[in-house]
Amino acid sequence: MGEGVFTFIVGGKAGEGVKKAGEAASRLFSGMGRHVFQADEYESLIKGGHNFSSVSTSMRPVTGTYLKADFVVCLDRRSHEIHREHISKNGILVYNSDAMPAGQWKGIGLPISSAAKKFPNPELRVGLGAVAALSACVGLDRAGLEALVRAEYSRDVDNNIAFAGMVWEAANPLIGGRIRLESGPARGQVLSGNQAMALGACAAGLDMFFAYPMTPSSSMLHYLAAHAGQLGITVMHPESEIAVANMAIGATYSGARTMVGTAGGGFGLMVEALSLAGCAEAPLLVMSACRVGPSTGAATLHEQSDLRHVLGAGHGEFPRIVASPGDMGEAFGLAAEMMGLVWMFQTPGIILGDKHLCESAMTVDVDIGNAAWAEPLMFSGPAEEYRRYRQTTDGVSPLLFPPVDAVNKWTSHVRDELGISTEDSGLIEETHDKLRRKGEAIERHLRTITTVNTFGHGDPVVMTYGSTTLAVREAVALAGLDCRIVQPIYLEPFPGWAVGCFRGGPPPVVVEQSSTGMFARLLEEKMGLEIPRDNVILKYDGRPFDPEGLAARLREAI
Amino acid sequence: MADDLTSYRENTWCPGCGNFAIFNALKKAVRKLGDSGTPRRMLAHTAGIGCHGKMFDYLMLGGFCSLHGRALATAQGIKLANPQLKVISSVGDGDCYGEGIEHLIFAAKRNADITVLVHDNGVYGLTTGQVAPTGARGARGPSTPQGNPEEPLNMLPLMLEAGATFVARGYSGNIDHLSDLIVRAVGHPGFAFVDILQPCVSFNNTYEKYNKATEVMSPEPASFDDAMKAARRTDRMLLGVFFQDMSRPAHHVALQGQRNPSQDRPDRKTRLDRVAGLLGTPHPGRFAP
Repeated sequence: MGEGVFTFIVGGKAGEGVKKAGEAASRLFSGMGRHVFQADEYESLIKGGHNFSSVSTSMRPVTGTYLKADFVVCLDRRSHEIHREHISKNGILVYNSDAMPAGQWKGIGLPISSAAKKFPNPELRVGLGAVAALSACVGLDRAGLEALVRAEYSRDVDNNIAFAGMVWEAANPLIGGRIRLESGPARGQVLSGNQAMALGACAAGLDMFFAYPMTPSSSMLHYLAAHAGQLGITVMHPESEIAVANMAIGATYSGARTMVGTAGGGFGLMVEALSLAGCAEAPLLVMSACRVGPSTGAATLHEQSDLRHVLGAGHGEFPRIVASPGDMGEAFGLAAEMMGLVWMFQTPGIILGDKHLCESAMTVDVDIGNAAWAEPLMFSGPAEEYRRYRQTTDGVSPLLFPPVDAVNKWTSHVRDELGISTEDSGLIEETHDKLRRKGEAIERHLRTITTVNTFGHGDPVVMTYGSTTLAVREAVALAGLDCRIVQPIYLEPFPGWAVGCFRGGPPPVVVEQSSTGMFARLLEEKMGLEIPRDNVILKYDGRPFDPEGLAARLREAI
Repeated sequence: MADDLTSYRENTWCPGCGNFAIFNALKKAVRKLGDSGTPRRMLAHTAGIGCHGKMFDYLMLGGFCSLHGRALATAQGIKLANPQLKVISSVGDGDCYGEGIEHLIFAAKRNADITVLVHDNGVYGLTTGQVAPTGARGARGPSTPQGNPEEPLNMLPLMLEAGATFVARGYSGNIDHLSDLIVRAVGHPGFAFVDILQPCVSFNNTYEKYNKATEVMSPEPASFDDAMKAARRTDRMLLGVFFQDMSRPAHHVALQGQRNPSQDRPDRKTRLDRVAGLLGTPHPGRFAP
């Protein structure tokens, strides 16, 4: 559904290759010159349960997936129960007839499992059956399907090609060419937020990545580990998030550009190290992804409830930079920019992600050449004059990396310029003043770069942040609403100077995925606004907004 | 203590504290290392928090004063990012056997090429004498006024079992022996663990006990099994190197080969080309008309 948008859903059990089928479909549509957006929903288990992947595609940029799909493949009975209601008016439902009891079922049955059983590990292969059915339906020929399988299913490729061909032949007489999609020259990469942020950090000079697995950040660890050789970086999975953060900080002492990836709970374990990075003035870059909380919550589902967590974490007063990308293309550039900033200011930075941003994927035009490059202020002079914590007007002291003849001390203590701890009242004040001046310098710098995105020119103002920006953009485009979407990219220091122009008018509509309106409360605090409860559109059921549902709620609020 | 390895920071260890001896042994070891081809510029020193941690302020050497319990994680980060460096960690028993024991066990398991010097006095001295992980059962402290209900940890067998490739014990009452142990530990190509028996004159004065019970091993155990037997002895507190295995690759080599992440940094163009290489996978598909 959605004007000019075609949506494909594949549902099945965990272990059937459902997400992989979504990825293959994304590649198929990209090859047709179409924009895609892919979102996956899965449970925290390896086998069984219900997983589905939805891919929405259009000739225009598409920033969300639609609940009502035009082509649905149900690989198991449960998927049929769930998704048979999600068919658009002229949509086609295909089900795996081997997974259903005999009888009359809505849709078109294809013997996907029995075809798969002709090959080893049949249950791992059924997802590919959905790709074959989709290929037949949109008019991809056998040769095209074979090329797609070679690109996406390279392990045991010959059996995969044979299996896909079998399903294609079964599907073709029933649905072959039934849906004709507009096409053009092939489009660029489809990237998840985690991939985009990983590559952005690499473009800025990443040398080492440390992470402990935690959904929804793990795919960043897996992606960087898989490509560590090609990228020339070190990727390490140590014993805990505490080790992750402290190793990364140690590595910055040696001069390596580092990043760590985690989710809200793991970030909680890193909090003491965050404060250490603030005090020692270590450029620690953290990507923390939000999922449903509190505590273990719902590990694989989406929410934006970590805003206060990342803004307030860490004892004591120290400057930090917090930013949250609004789409996957921005995620690439912002990760690079944040790497640059933490090294420019030698202080911790947090990229706040969320499940939908990190794990959903969309067509992006990555601007590699404009990626920031992390280059710290280095000391030049005689070694005996080096002071790690030399007082400067902007609070940033020049760095030296070992091996050096200078005594180069980094410390978690209040210290003198050399880095030796002290309880002297004057030096305690000086340490605080240095960090405070640094915070002010960060704000001065942020005033010179883009810290807020706006989309559209109308009234009223709709404020949102993080991946909810995607849903709001899609809903506004779908409903043709005349409003202005305002998305603060940076959340600390909060760019009040850039969003301040909306003070004085009617209060904004706020859209976010939390139950208490954390973002709305932050805007009230930072902008001195009062935002009526009715202006705040919340969703907290673990799923990102559906564009149609959000469009209806926006119409009501505006 | 005016020498070029001692800072201007006022020393606040209690008179008679075992830390003075460990400090002197470490300085002596740093000089010996300098004489044998490892200059100070190649050393990095990390410390945790506790009485031992003051070593960081007193010693004129570069490094990182970390968090309580985390000095070994910091040390491993420094080492991985620049494997040329010799990283020496001063840690405490509460610090490293309590709060941060995960990092100790995993550093041993992965054979991280760092040297760990544990100031083991059985108490949390800086926080006024609570019983630490190696403190005796029944020992009284402000958090266990009725006596410690737990058994002490014997760390040497645990380290052997965890895969440490250099396991030693020293005593602050034997500075020359201890400084030799430190030199050997730093020279070991892998994880080097030195438990240092240290009396705390204020809260756990063990001078008399250690002077009687310690004994320098001669010869040192020649096998893992002998090392384990010697480490398990409770009648005598044996000193020296219990075990050394130089055949296992150091962690940084196993993880990243000969690459030095902070010293062999590719330039921006190379990085961008690599990123572009990952992005540039065009779709090979063909479509029916």
